[in-house]
Amino acid sequence: MITFSLNGEPVRFNGDPSTPLLWVIRDDFKLKGSKFGCGAGLCGACTMHLDGTAIKTCVLPVAAAADKAVTTIEGLGNPEDLHPLQTAWIEHNVPQCGYCQSGQIMAAAALIADKPSASSEDVDNAMSGNICRCGCYPRIKAAIMSVAASALSYDAAATEANS
Amino acid sequence: MVGGGIVVAVALPGCAFKGPHPIEVTDAGFVPNAFLQITPDNHVTFYCPSDEMGQGIRTGLATIVGEELDVNPATMLVKAAGSHEDYNNPEFRVQGTGGSNAVRVFYEPLRQVGADTRALLLNAASLDLGIPADQLLTADGFIVAGDRRYPYGDFVETASSLEMPIATELKAPSRFKYIGADAPRVDALAKATGTANFGIDADVPGMVYAVVVRPPVAGSKALSFDDSTARVAPGVLAVVPVSSGVAVVAERYWQANQAAKKLTIDWEETPLSTVTSEQVRQDLSAALEADNDTESTRAGDPEKAFADADAGTILETDYYAPFLAHAPMEPLNATLRITEDGADLWTGVQFVGAAQGVLERLTGLPRGNIKIHNQFLGGGFGRRATLSHIVEVAEIALSVDKPVQLLWSREDDLRHGFYRPAAMMKIKAAADSEGHITAWQARRSGANISAQTFKNALPGVLPNLPTGLLNGLAGAMDYVFKNWAVDGSSVEGLHETYSLPSYQVSHASVDHGLPTTFWRSVGHSYTSFAVESMMDELAEAKQLDPVALRLKNLNDKPRMQNVVAEAGQLMAAMTVPENHHLGFAAHSSFGTDVAQIAEVSVTEGQIRVHKVTCVVDCGLAVNPDIVTAQLEGAVMFALTAALYGSIDLEGGAVVQSNFHNYPILRMNESPAVDVVIIESETPPTGIGEPGVPPLAPAVANAVYRATGQRLRDLPLQLA
Repeated sequence: MITFSLNGEPVRFNGDPSTPLLWVIRDDFKLKGSKFGCGAGLCGACTMHLDGTAIKTCVLPVAAAADKAVTTIEGLGNPEDLHPLQTAWIEHNVPQCGYCQSGQIMAAAALIADKPSASSEDVDNAMSGNICRCGCYPRIKAAIMSVAASALSYDAAATEANS
Repeated sequence: MVGGGIVVAVALPGCAFKGPHPIEVTDAGFVPNAFLQITPDNHVTFYCPSDEMGQGIRTGLATIVGEELDVNPATMLVKAAGSHEDYNNPEFRVQGTGGSNAVRVFYEPLRQVGADTRALLLNAASLDLGIPADQLLTADGFIVAGDRRYPYGDFVETASSLEMPIATELKAPSRFKYIGADAPRVDALAKATGTANFGIDADVPGMVYAVVVRPPVAGSKALSFDDSTARVAPGVLAVVPVSSGVAVVAERYWQANQAAKKLTIDWEETPLSTVTSEQVRQDLSAALEADNDTESTRAGDPEKAFADADAGTILETDYYAPFLAHAPMEPLNATLRITEDGADLWTGVQFVGAAQGVLERLTGLPRGNIKIHNQFLGGGFGRRATLSHIVEVAEIALSVDKPVQLLWSREDDLRHGFYRPAAMMKIKAAADSEGHITAWQARRSGANISAQTFKNALPGVLPNLPTGLLNGLAGAMDYVFKNWAVDGSSVEGLHETYSLPSYQVSHASVDHGLPTTFWRSVGHSYTSFAVESMMDELAEAKQLDPVALRLKNLNDKPRMQNVVAEAGQLMAAMTVPENHHLGFAAHSSFGTDVAQIAEVSVTEGQIRVHKVTCVVDCGLAVNPDIVTAQLEGAVMFALTAALYGSIDLEGGAVVQSNFHNYPILRMNESPAVDVVIIESETPPTGIGEPGVPPLAPAVANAVYRATGQRLRDLPLQLA
C-alpha cells in the first residue's frame, strides 16, 4: 500500500504501484483537473507538484509519491479562493480550449513559488515543457509576468520600508 | 431573417418540439425557446448551439443573444446545447461546428431570439404592471418603469402564457453595448481552476475503460489475433474485435493500456502498405506532369493571355506541402452508456448531429432517446468533426453491456488520424511591366479532402440508409471527385484573394488511401503558401515592392486592398535589427481578409520568428479580444506547421508517434503577435481559421530576404 498526501489530505492507494500518478489521481481519487496529453512526459498537461516541485505525472509511478505531498490544480486554488496566477489567467483571458491550462498553471505556480519575481527568461525556461496547441503563449507569459511584477513591486516596497 | 432550422418562437410548455427536448427545466424556469431559460429568481441560461473548442464561441454567441435580450453575457450561465435539430447549424443543416461559420450564421438568428424574448418580457411586464409596453424600458436583465426596476424573473410566469412576438426590430449597431466590447470569456474561470469538464472527464457509475489497437496501415483489417496473455492481464474484462481493430476493456484505463501491448495481431496488406512519403511526392508531381487535370474554375481567356505575354517573363513554379496531423491536446475519447431504452454519450465533437446519427445506426434506438452530452473540446481544428471514435465506443459498449470510456493515446492520435492531405501546386503567372497580373494558372494534385470527410460522416448523417447503399454512395462520391468534379475544399484559395483578369484553376486527384479531413483553414492551409510565395517571386521579377505588387492586383477587392494597404504602411514604418528581415503575405478565407508581416532572423540555418503583425478585417468584431486571441493562436498553430509539421509514411504507416517527432511550438520559440482589427459595422465573418494561411508564406518570404533561398517546400528547411 502506498500512502501520500493529496492536497493536504492523507490518502492511500492499494493498486499496482507502477501505475502513473496521473491515472491514480484521475481514476481512483476522481480529481479530473489534471489532464492526459501525451503519456510520455512531453507536453506537461499532467503537471502536478510533488513536494512543491512541478512534475509530469503521466510517467511518474505512483510509488514515487510515497510519503510525499502531491498538489493538483484543485489544491492550488478554487473558484471561491483563487491563486494569484488563476486570477491573472482570468484577467488576461488566457485560456482557449483550456485543456492544457491546469498543467500550465501548475508549472507557473512552482516557478513563482521558487522565484516570486521571475524574469522573462525564467518564464520561458520554466514553461517550455508545457505545450499549448491553441497557442496561448503570449497570454500565459503576460499572466505570469503580471504576478512576477507584483512580487517585484512588493519586494521593492518592502526594501524601501526596511531601509 | 431567420436561418433554416432555427426555432425561434416555439417551445412554450406543451408546444411541439420534434423530439424530447434536452433542456432541463430548473427552479420553475421559463423556457421561451430552445436557447434560453429564465428563472423567477432572474438567472438566465443560454444554451449554446456551437461547440466550444477554444475559439470562444460560448462567449461570442452569449454576447450576441445578450445584446438584444439586454442581459450582460458575463452574468449568464452558458451551457452546451443538448442534441436536437433546433440547434442545427443553419448552413450545414445538421448540428455541427466548423468552417469558421458560427458567429456569421448565428449572428442574426440569435439576435432575433434575444429581441423577441425581450419583447415578450416587456409584454408580460406591461400586463402585470398595468403600464403600456411602450412606456417600459429594459436594462441588463431588468424591466424599468420610471424609477422602478423589476427583474425579468418577476414576469416569466405571465410570459409563459403569452404568444412569442416575431420579427421584433433589431438594434442598430451604433446602439450595441456588449457586441464590439472586450469582455471576459465566460469559460475562463472554469478553465483556470481545472473545473471545466472535457469529454475525458466524464465519470459514469460502473463504467469500464477501453483502448483499441489499430492497424499500422490505415484501413487494414486484423486477419487473426492472439489475446491469450492480454486476456489474463490484471483488470482485463474483455478483448473485443471492432471494425477498426481490437479493443481491450479493463477495470482501469492503465490496465487496458498495459494489456493492449500484449496483443499479437496479424494485419492484412493493403495497397497503402508499400507507400512512402517520397512516393507520394513523386506521384503528386507526376500527376501534374501528366497534364490531364479536371478544371475547377476559370475566368477570361488565360490561354490567350499567356500567349500574349512576353514568354521570357512568365513564371512557373511548384510548391509542396506535406500531410499534417491536428494533434489537439485532448486525445480523442468517448464515454457511452446504453440502456434498454436510450443511450447517453459524453464526448467532445464538432459534429453532434452525426455522432447522434452514428449511435442511432449502431444501437437501433430511436434518435430522440440518444442524448449527446457535448463537453468542452480540448482542441478541435477539424479533428473532432470525424466519427471513428464514436463508432468504436458504440461497438465496444454493445459488446460488453456496461458503460464504457474509450480513450485514444497520443500515439493513436498521430498514427491513426485523418490528415491534412499533402499537396503539390504548380502556379504559372504572367504580369505586365507595371505588375498587373494578366494571366494566372493554378493547379493542385493530391487527395480530395471532402470526399473522404463525407465518407466518414455519411453513416451518421444518413443513419437509416442501409449499409450497402451507404458504401455505394461513398464510392460514387469518391469516383465523382476523382474523375468528374473538383472538390472545392481541395483548391480553395488558389485564385480568390486577387483581382485576376484571366485565370484557370484545376485539380488532379491522387489518393493513396491515407484518411484525410479538414484541418484548420483546410485547402487554404497550403494554397496560400503557393499563391503568396508566387506573389513575392513576381514582385522580384518585376522589381517591385511586394506590397505594391499586391495592391496593383486588388482593384475589385476593396476590403483586402485596405487590409494590405494598412499592413503595408505598418511594415514600411517598422525598424528592425540589422539581422532581422520582414516578410509579407495576405490571404482571404472564410469571408475574412488577413495580412501578416513576419519578422525573422536566420542563424546557422535556424529560422527564428520574432514577431508577427496581423491586420484583419472580419467585419464587426463581436469580441475584439477574442478575435485577437484567435489570431495569436492561429500564428502559433501555423508556425508549428511552417517550421516543423510533417506526417511521413514508411511502408504505408505513419512514422511520427508523439511530440518528440511531431514537435509543437513551445513558449521559448513563440513570437510576439500584434493584431490590428479594422473597424467595421458589416456583419461578422470567420475568425477561427483565417489567421493560419498567410503565416507560412510570410515567413518564407522573410527567409528569402534573409538568405536569398526561396523555400518552396513545407516545412521550411534551409539547404
